[in-house]
Amino acid sequence: MQRHSPRRSKALLLISLAIGFLIPLAGVAQTPALPGLGMNQAKKILSDLDDLGNFPGKDYSALFTIVSEKPGEKQSVTQVRVFRRDSKKQFTILIMLPEVNKGQGYLREEDNVWFYDPTGRKFSHSSIKENIQNSEAKNADFTSSSLSKDYDIQKISEASIGKFPVWVLDLRAKNNEVPYDRMVLYVRKDRIMILKQEDYSVNGRLMRTTLFPKYVEVEGKLLPSQILIVDEINRGEKSQITMAEQTVEKLPDKVFTKAFLEQVNR
Amino acid sequence: MNTILPKIALRNLARQKKRSFLLGGAIAFGIMIVTLINGFAGAFIENVSENFAYLMAGHVFIQGSEKTDSGRRLHVIRDGSLIVEAVEKTALPYSFATKSSEVAAMIIFEGKSIRQNLTGLDIANSTFLKERLVLKQGSWEQSMAPDALILSEKVAGKLNVLPGDRVTASFQTITGQNNVADFTVVAISVDASIIGSVMTYVNLDYLNAFLGMKPGEYMSLGFMLPNLKDASEFSTALYESMKNLGMGLFERSAQDDSGSATPFQALMRNQNKETWEGVKYRVFTIDDVLSQAKQIVLALDSSSLIILLVLFAIVMIGITNTFRMVMYERIREIGTMRAVGVQRREVRSILLALVAMGGLSLIDFGMDSPAFLIMKNGHLSFFLPPARALFNILVISLLTILAAYFPARAAAKMTPADALRTMK
Repeated sequence: MQRHSPRRSKALLLISLAIGFLIPLAGVAQTPALPGLGMNQAKKILSDLDDLGNFPGKDYSALFTIVSEKPGEKQSVTQVRVFRRDSKKQFTILIMLPEVNKGQGYLREEDNVWFYDPTGRKFSHSSIKENIQNSEAKNADFTSSSLSKDYDIQKISEASIGKFPVWVLDLRAKNNEVPYDRMVLYVRKDRIMILKQEDYSVNGRLMRTTLFPKYVEVEGKLLPSQILIVDEINRGEKSQITMAEQTVEKLPDKVFTKAFLEQVNR
Repeated sequence: MNTILPKIALRNLARQKKRSFLLGGAIAFGIMIVTLINGFAGAFIENVSENFAYLMAGHVFIQGSEKTDSGRRLHVIRDGSLIVEAVEKTALPYSFATKSSEVAAMIIFEGKSIRQNLTGLDIANSTFLKERLVLKQGSWEQSMAPDALILSEKVAGKLNVLPGDRVTASFQTITGQNNVADFTVVAISVDASIIGSVMTYVNLDYLNAFLGMKPGEYMSLGFMLPNLKDASEFSTALYESMKNLGMGLFERSAQDDSGSATPFQALMRNQNKETWEGVKYRVFTIDDVLSQAKQIVLALDSSSLIILLVLFAIVMIGITNTFRMVMYERIREIGTMRAVGVQRREVRSILLALVAMGGLSLIDFGMDSPAFLIMKNGHLSFFLPPARALFNILVISLLTILAAYFPARAAAKMTPADALRTMK
């Protein structure tokens, strides 16, 4: 299997989280403000969020820029162009930065993932179920999770984030195969927009806080354009993901082929 | 025994010390290069095998694998009693068995982090670990603490930790959930090897609790054998014994389509395609894991033989030329010897004894010299299989004698009158 540098693996983790997990969560439904929130309504929010994360019958593409900061280390910048076609479980990722990895890419179709390295002009294959070596990311992270299917709502409360009143949904995993055993979502009351998300370990330690400060509207859907991930275990480590050029326009079929990855490097 | 001929050969050798030394030096240099390549190649595989055996706590391993409804594979042995029964039925000896669990973790301390393999062992009762791991700081007594952690000095340096410091490890449970555990650094070990520096040891039960395993469960059972060479026989017998007990087993002879993977990788990949219920076991050896390393050694050995032949093709030309010169320098002496009744065969023998004495003594020098360069307890080590050394000596001796044979035969064939008349 192809080995990855820790830096690129970190980038992959962030990309995977962004395209496979965070965006679905961070979708925004244009629903009216809710005066109070019962359990059924809270479940409906989760279900809506699951639906909003998918682009049925449509494609998705964007330019992701990931800026990672680690204490005592230089800031690292990774830029990738992402193409998704959920209806066929396909994605293509092209690495634009850093320069040393430029031209490398990933292609997914069903359970297969191919990595392309322009230096050797070769593809290497792995399964969606195999780990991305040397990283916290798993290829399975690229698949979207289902909040309503995987989590129970343990508790509903109210709070404020900045000037926005939010519902605080405390979720517990229904099974032990989802990445986080507990998640706390801070959803805006007026638009069911996620502003903050906390992920907890199996033994209840806060591992990561994710903030969604900026959104853009794409064909009637509000999608986050900036995500800030703060590592709560290793204090001082954080990443900022900026998504630009987001579109759900139809992509040519050739984008999801090996030939495309080879062609863009010529 | 005729001692006159070797004496004459020795005298002739001593007459031209500089030339003899240069000629022998060329032979010695050639054999030294080849010996070095063979020696490092041999040491490489020996060291890698030994290090892995030490790091993985065994020569033969058994791992359990379960498949969940969602298709996720869980690496866990929940009940090892059947394995123990299977081992007892083989009646094959082993030095000790070690239960272990391992997970890739990020160890974090005050803003610094490093990726390590956390290996859970029963540290208090692990005699092999105490024998092999040299502690630089801290003590084994403190390792009795449940949350004890022993890491290498290189890693300790990177994290800037000392015994007594509390570190946090972030990893995934056997079902893939993120989890966090705190450990206390109780000891810092001397870096045994490059591979050793990625290993961090913790207590098995403590680690298992955070990995989502119940008490008594573990991931791998390793058997350390009296000799690495017994691994294949032991694993085959154990596999058959487990099969006879009706235990679910993965095919051992699995081969990857590309042919590039090690048998262990092929085994793992084939498992990804399989579906099964309950627990299935895989049996593998250090050799299965290290087969690619062995291929490198094989390639190095083959290359060294080619280098040996090329070097000696060059050296042979030198030897032939030198002996033609020796023959012409001694031509009147040869003529005189032949005139007083020395036989052709004896003249040839004198010249061949000359090359044999000079060459072989320096072959020995060439074989021995690399030994001075090798550190005994450092990372650089040297092992030359005796059979390989003998083979090298044989090849070089034959080539050297062959190179000297033709000038010697030409000298022996000369008639005494011709030899005495010749002025060169």
